[in-house]
Amino acid sequence: MSGTRTFLLELHCEEIPARFLEPLTAELELKLSEWLKANQLDLAAEDDNEATSFSIGLYSPRKLTWEVLNVPVQQPDQTETQVGPPQKMCLDAEGQPTQTGLKFAEKWGVDFAAVRFEQPAGKKEPCAVVTLTKKGRPTKDLLAEAMPGLITSLHVPKAMRWGNSEFEFVRPIRNVLCLFGEEVVDFTVDGVRSSNSTWGHRLHHMANPAPVEIQRPEDYEAALEKAGVVVSFDQRRTRMEAQLHNLAKAIDGRVVMDEELLDTLAEIVEFPMIVRGEFPKEFLELPKEVLVTSLKEHQKSFCIEDAKGELLPFFLAAANRMDDPAGFVKAGNEWVLKARLYDARFFFAEDRKSKLELRLDKLNSLTFQRDLGTYREKSIRIRDIADAVARKIDPGMIDDLRGAAMVCKCDLRTLMVGEFPELQGVMGGEYLRLEGKTNIWLAVKEHYHPTSADDGLPSTPMGSALALADKLDTVVGCFAVGIIPSGSKDPLALRRAGQGVVRILWEQAWAVDVMELARIALGVVGAKATKPESDTLQALESFFRDRVAYQLEQAGYAGPVRRSALPVGWSNLVDLKARCEALAAFAEDPRFASLAQSAKRIGNILKDEAPAETFESTVLKQAEEKALAARLAALESAPDTTTLLTTLAELAQPLEAFFTAVMVKCEDAALRAARLSLLHRLRLAFLRVADFSQWQ
Amino acid sequence: MHIQELILRLQRFWADRGCLIGQPYDIEKGAGTMNPLTFFGALGKKPWNVAYVEPSRRPADGRYGENPFRVYKHLQFQVILKPSPAKVQELYIESLSALGIDLSKHDLRFEEDNWESPTLGAWGVGWQVVLDGMEISQFTYFQQVGGLDCRPVSAELTYGIERICMFLGGYDNIFDLTWGEVKTDEGVFPITYRQVRQREEFELSAYSFEHADLNLHRTLFDAFEKEGWRLLKDHGHFRSAYEQALKMSHTFNVLDARGAVSTTERPGVIKRVRDLASSCAKAYLEHEEPSTDSTEDTDSKTKIAGVAK
Repeated sequence: MSGTRTFLLELHCEEIPARFLEPLTAELELKLSEWLKANQLDLAAEDDNEATSFSIGLYSPRKLTWEVLNVPVQQPDQTETQVGPPQKMCLDAEGQPTQTGLKFAEKWGVDFAAVRFEQPAGKKEPCAVVTLTKKGRPTKDLLAEAMPGLITSLHVPKAMRWGNSEFEFVRPIRNVLCLFGEEVVDFTVDGVRSSNSTWGHRLHHMANPAPVEIQRPEDYEAALEKAGVVVSFDQRRTRMEAQLHNLAKAIDGRVVMDEELLDTLAEIVEFPMIVRGEFPKEFLELPKEVLVTSLKEHQKSFCIEDAKGELLPFFLAAANRMDDPAGFVKAGNEWVLKARLYDARFFFAEDRKSKLELRLDKLNSLTFQRDLGTYREKSIRIRDIADAVARKIDPGMIDDLRGAAMVCKCDLRTLMVGEFPELQGVMGGEYLRLEGKTNIWLAVKEHYHPTSADDGLPSTPMGSALALADKLDTVVGCFAVGIIPSGSKDPLALRRAGQGVVRILWEQAWAVDVMELARIALGVVGAKATKPESDTLQALESFFRDRVAYQLEQAGYAGPVRRSALPVGWSNLVDLKARCEALAAFAEDPRFASLAQSAKRIGNILKDEAPAETFESTVLKQAEEKALAARLAALESAPDTTTLLTTLAELAQPLEAFFTAVMVKCEDAALRAARLSLLHRLRLAFLRVADFSQWQ
Repeated sequence: MHIQELILRLQRFWADRGCLIGQPYDIEKGAGTMNPLTFFGALGKKPWNVAYVEPSRRPADGRYGENPFRVYKHLQFQVILKPSPAKVQELYIESLSALGIDLSKHDLRFEEDNWESPTLGAWGVGWQVVLDGMEISQFTYFQQVGGLDCRPVSAELTYGIERICMFLGGYDNIFDLTWGEVKTDEGVFPITYRQVRQREEFELSAYSFEHADLNLHRTLFDAFEKEGWRLLKDHGHFRSAYEQALKMSHTFNVLDARGAVSTTERPGVIKRVRDLASSCAKAYLEHEEPSTDSTEDTDSKTKIAGVAK
């Protein structure tokens, strides 16, 4: 028997939660390929195979499917070598087998004559060795034995039981299809026996009660599509995306695109279809964000906008079928959406009956954090921190910024944010805009940004300053009451807030020391703190340093630049950025590699020394050290980072020559002191820009 | 379709498929799950299929009878199937056909929605069933009730009666629904949901948001709790004790609707209800299925508990 076949496994379940589909498929794909490898059933490219084995994972709400192409039909014979006791224990003086020798042969089921003596790697003397040949088995049999174990080994985060069984899985398994070529791989999982048939879309089986038979794995996808199921996620997503665009275009609009939502839609249907519905025009009075959020969160629907970005009274929703013959799908979605928008409009109207600022007192009953108090208290702290920030960056914005701080959390008490928490900030901003607060509404609207690494900063300096103050209060306040992220534990997302602080300073190019801001914020937190100030500051220092290091990585600087720039000063981000920019030009310069070596040596030499700040250059004797001393002045007087780095680069070769020729710690005390001073001064000059001992 | 016709059809459908038709339990409650037919029925080994309507009160959802979609009290139709049958989804879908929904023309989806009732110590996994974009039912495989593992597992189906009625009839206002028709010598009079329920909605909303005596409710909560534990500990009576847990739960909901329970207090208050409900569940199981390795019967246990107190 020779050749290869395609393996196909499909678990047909009751609807699997969308969020588990991809992870479960990926996990079994990995486990399958590991299993194939372990059983020598994997044709790898590096072995010059004509066809190599590869797997495909497919899924739809009711199906988890794996195909592996080019799997050998028969496992090759396997030989394995077993090593036993040393030769001298197995053979007596006459060369006859000892008891130990015979036992070794017996253990592996061979005649003693088959035992060889050779010295295996890692052993000091020749040992008894046998080579065993295991006959390869038919792949189909191996698969049938392995499948139940592989399936039950899947890690299911929210496993369930059903019926009378103790079996646990993500949702009840109702059918198992398993083929190797045209043959059924026969096994049973929780009482369900594998076969060569499966089930298509529920609608298909209303007219066709018989299951769908799959003759060969190659027919699988086409046969299922005929039965109403597109089992490939990518296919469904691609087709839905095209429909979305076409349906929007047909009414001269474009989709308000949301990749995450499209993923979700492709995960919750077995057949991709988008329907376009309408909603009454009067709902367009609602802010765009409200409509987009309400449609997305409640109805998993997309909005459509015109060329100017204004919304049109249409929406796009997914349906799990091929058509809408009676228009029920469209009508139903329109009906539900109207109910939802009715609610949203009610909230919007109710909220606007009183000014946003009147909710400040209501924030008294909304706890931010037990030790740090209410959102009203937080608002006051944000105001005080923002005040100090404004004094440093632009005193002109102080009044507006203080005002913005006092209302920025008020929307937490609006009905709309109660319904859609993700609209926090946005609603506050919108309500202020409608109240005519032209100078602060945008700052309030955007003050939660950046919410992730991909998210932009607030678009105005005032918005950035407000965001900075809010995040500083959150981070510093929490640290002061002992809430410090560790490992995977960061329930209040302090790392994200801290990263926001760093990014705002970095991108706004505000030359304010992060740690100085942290100390200001800690002062504002004041008596709320439950931990000693020195502990908090120490923890904050290491926290922000990590955030800054991450920022450098995100900014794309090479490893040597990041490692060497950070240790000499990281809390002023403008200074740090300038040094990194300058260093980046030398990232690939081999002279800097040599410089790094020298810097390390200087560090080692000066380790336990206390060199003087000045030295007499006349004391120096050798040409190499005089050459070095001659360049010191130029280095020390370099007016800017780039000049300094250019001078440093030129210093690499002289430094190397110095270390080759000069023995620094010589007998002559005066000479030794002068040499140490010279190195000390050189190092001080380096450290103005970077710690080169960290370059490599 | 009229409200009463929907209920009648569901009852007929599930009775024909081997369910007992139960009745609503005469104590205020937030959901049909709290009816003892479900709470105790889902526990233990014996087969149990039951279906019934349950009026469910959610004081915080009261809108004075003015909101077209939200009400203080709505009707749930509840089905429990233990153990969950292999074709439970198909059965459910058939029940929709029995309501006149032609599924060949509609879009039906089962979207993940896991259910949890912290007051009952119960949770399960399942779906919300979405018809043409509208959530019409909740579908749950019970994993735990009263803090005890469900073996076997029950399937719970909950239909939102008013919602389904509105959806089928294309109504934009719950109060426009027809409850049924009254026929007299003078003629036929269709009776609307408004006629039957609006005044009740108005008064009960006003009661939960304005008129309920909060001190009385705090006192009641404590008293129901004390009474419940007394019944359970002194007499081993889990059914009457469970009624006290139900009353605690509703009393808590009234206080909660008024914002009289702070966020920090909340978990503790909920735990007090759960503790009593869970102890009732344990006592029920010990009564129904005394463990074989323990020879003491329920009476002697009761005595020990009584003495210990």
